[in-house]
Amino acid sequence: MRERMLPWLVADWGNPSSRHSFGVKARTAIDHSREQVAHALGAKAERVVFTSGGTEANNLAVLGSARARRQHGVHILVGPAEHPSVRDPALALIDEGFDVEVGQLGSDGAFDIDAFLASVREDTVLVSLMLASNEHGSIYPVARVAAGVRRIAPHAHIHTDAVQALGKLEVDIVELGVDSVSISAHKVHGPKGTGALVLASELPIRPLVFGGGQEGAVRSGTENVAGIAGFGEAVQLADEALVTTRAHLSSLKQRLADGLAEIDGMRVLTPGGSKETLGSIAAVLVGGPPAEVYLHHLEERGILVSVGSACQAHKNEASPALLALGLSAEEARQVLRFSFSRESQVSEVDAALEVLQALAGELSTL
Amino acid sequence: METNPGLVLVRYGELAIKGKNRFEFENALRRNISKAANEIAPSTVIKTRGRMVVRPERRMERVARRLQDVFGIASVSPAYAAERSIESITKVAGEELARAMEAYPTTQRIKFRVAARRADKRFHLTSQDINVAVAEALLPSIEDRIDIDLKNAELQLGIEVREEAAYVFATRLPGSGGLPVGTLGRGICLLSGGIDSPVAAWMMMKRGCRVIYVSFHSAPFIGDSSKRKIEQLVRSLSRFQPKSRLYSVPFTNIQMAIRDHAPESYRTVLYRRQMQKLAARIARREKAGCLITGESLGQVASQTMENLTCIGAATSTPVMQPLIGFDKQETIDIAHKIGTFELSIIPEPDCCTVFMPSRPIIRGKLEECEAAEEGYELDELIHQALAGAERIDID
Repeated sequence: MRERMLPWLVADWGNPSSRHSFGVKARTAIDHSREQVAHALGAKAERVVFTSGGTEANNLAVLGSARARRQHGVHILVGPAEHPSVRDPALALIDEGFDVEVGQLGSDGAFDIDAFLASVREDTVLVSLMLASNEHGSIYPVARVAAGVRRIAPHAHIHTDAVQALGKLEVDIVELGVDSVSISAHKVHGPKGTGALVLASELPIRPLVFGGGQEGAVRSGTENVAGIAGFGEAVQLADEALVTTRAHLSSLKQRLADGLAEIDGMRVLTPGGSKETLGSIAAVLVGGPPAEVYLHHLEERGILVSVGSACQAHKNEASPALLALGLSAEEARQVLRFSFSRESQVSEVDAALEVLQALAGELSTL
Repeated sequence: METNPGLVLVRYGELAIKGKNRFEFENALRRNISKAANEIAPSTVIKTRGRMVVRPERRMERVARRLQDVFGIASVSPAYAAERSIESITKVAGEELARAMEAYPTTQRIKFRVAARRADKRFHLTSQDINVAVAEALLPSIEDRIDIDLKNAELQLGIEVREEAAYVFATRLPGSGGLPVGTLGRGICLLSGGIDSPVAAWMMMKRGCRVIYVSFHSAPFIGDSSKRKIEQLVRSLSRFQPKSRLYSVPFTNIQMAIRDHAPESYRTVLYRRQMQKLAARIARREKAGCLITGESLGQVASQTMENLTCIGAATSTPVMQPLIGFDKQETIDIAHKIGTFELSIIPEPDCCTVFMPSRPIIRGKLEECEAAEEGYELDELIHQALAGAERIDID
């Protein structure tokens, strides 16, 4: 990946929109990444819209598709635990006269597909449901939801945020049956600041950024060639390693869950007892003091974990996604998020368990 | 993770009746299937009696869709293998039915049938026996959602009992028909970047011809982005044959010589004659039997009967023109279907737009063409162009 990116950072300064050979070279590099991304998602290369990351891809999907479908209706339905980059732009559309509904989870924290589909209306113009949760790794039945939405709402744009799922789960735009998929480079060890909205077919999307008509006029602005070059390579590498990655992550998460079972008051959250979860994320209810205290104690011992979603760290409020699981506001602050990658080691999980075991005694007296 | 990873059952049509050449056809088909499937996921291909069985490590559904573009295939089904016992068949059939039913709303009743086929007559149950046994075993648990309907079934569960295993499937996707690419020789397609020539190439591939592409380049009158467009077209067409090769031939000097020495009205016809001569040389190098062009009678000024005759007479290599009787719209429809239309309409100048005559000849005469090629070193320029040709292999 580094080799693919480097020329665009140090020597090749061609603008991909220029018609001279330097420009064509840059455009060809983007073409190649476009094919790599398209291949991983089973999409067509010309339907890949590069963005500045998952957040922009989600904003573009929500705002762009809803605005383009205004003549067909105003109803929008988003999943119960969407990332703020889906939920917030959807809520912002209320000011433009849209009727925005946020789905609810069942009392056990499980996703109820029939209840969700019951909220879809004939005039629904946008449904957005994440493929896998960024906070606890739950996998949502996007393909079945998409099939259900199609039967009720002929004009609905169906979007899924697959930022978390990419590289850990098969993401096939045709099999999912959705109209668009958001992905981000940094979730597959790619460069931060690059992502894409991938469309299933030629669909109307209103741009958020206007200008020179790059990216099929959906996302103007000179492309981030180095970032995109690295993104393509990262996606391909993650895709090739998918099967082994998935098995590896599941075994790490299982090891963590088994170890936590031995520690009083700690457990991995499994919404609705769901077996279908990503192995890459484990939300751990630690009990006692706020999870941030654990975070820094773990950090001191070289283990880096998160509290809630990194993207929400700037907002000092309990995560809606965790509250949706039926946790109290206090419990929602006692959730640590462990993230594993294909490079994580069994020894690291064991070390974390050891530290948690020690901390449990130490911190419970606080 | 799924315990039963699934496979793709491939049915082939026309080549099943190709008599003595059957092995050759089957081997070519198998190679082409293997190449296409392995683009999606590591896969093995096994030839069984009248079928190919593709086992991808993952992405069975996408492999099945990919094979829809491989010529020589009648239809494909994502399928699951069962052991050759009615218990195993019933179990796998139940799992496949449950998956297929997910696509229907829980409130809707589904018209359903089982369609078994006993390809291996040594199996102890007849097709009808299998139908009855499987239906009877599955029905009790799904009676509230299923109506047996033999005539108008919307969901049909296929079962094939073959020598090596039984296969169960709920969908059947149409193939592209035609014959396996590579079984009926090679042709050199003159690719302009327009709508027609990619369609012509596709039609020849459909009938088993391996296509090698030639494009002509007029640098510095046109830039690299035209080359990029041609490469994108070849890349797009490469999903119909396992490997593609493109020759990019510098054409500017030939055009300038014609501009300087020949009557202006004849320029386009003369350009095309030289292109065919160059393509014929490449055909010899590649052991290709024909040239392929996207000509359609009367579509543009250079495509009158007289002009086509002048152009065709430039070489003794046969020129195949699969679109000759097509209306423009018919060609456009295919271009959409095969995914080249959007690339073709990207506005990029091609070499035919350089030094275009203001009034091109409508009814060219061969003697005039030949006379207009005399007296300057066209042969030498053709030789140089060939030496400067760039070869690009697209895998």
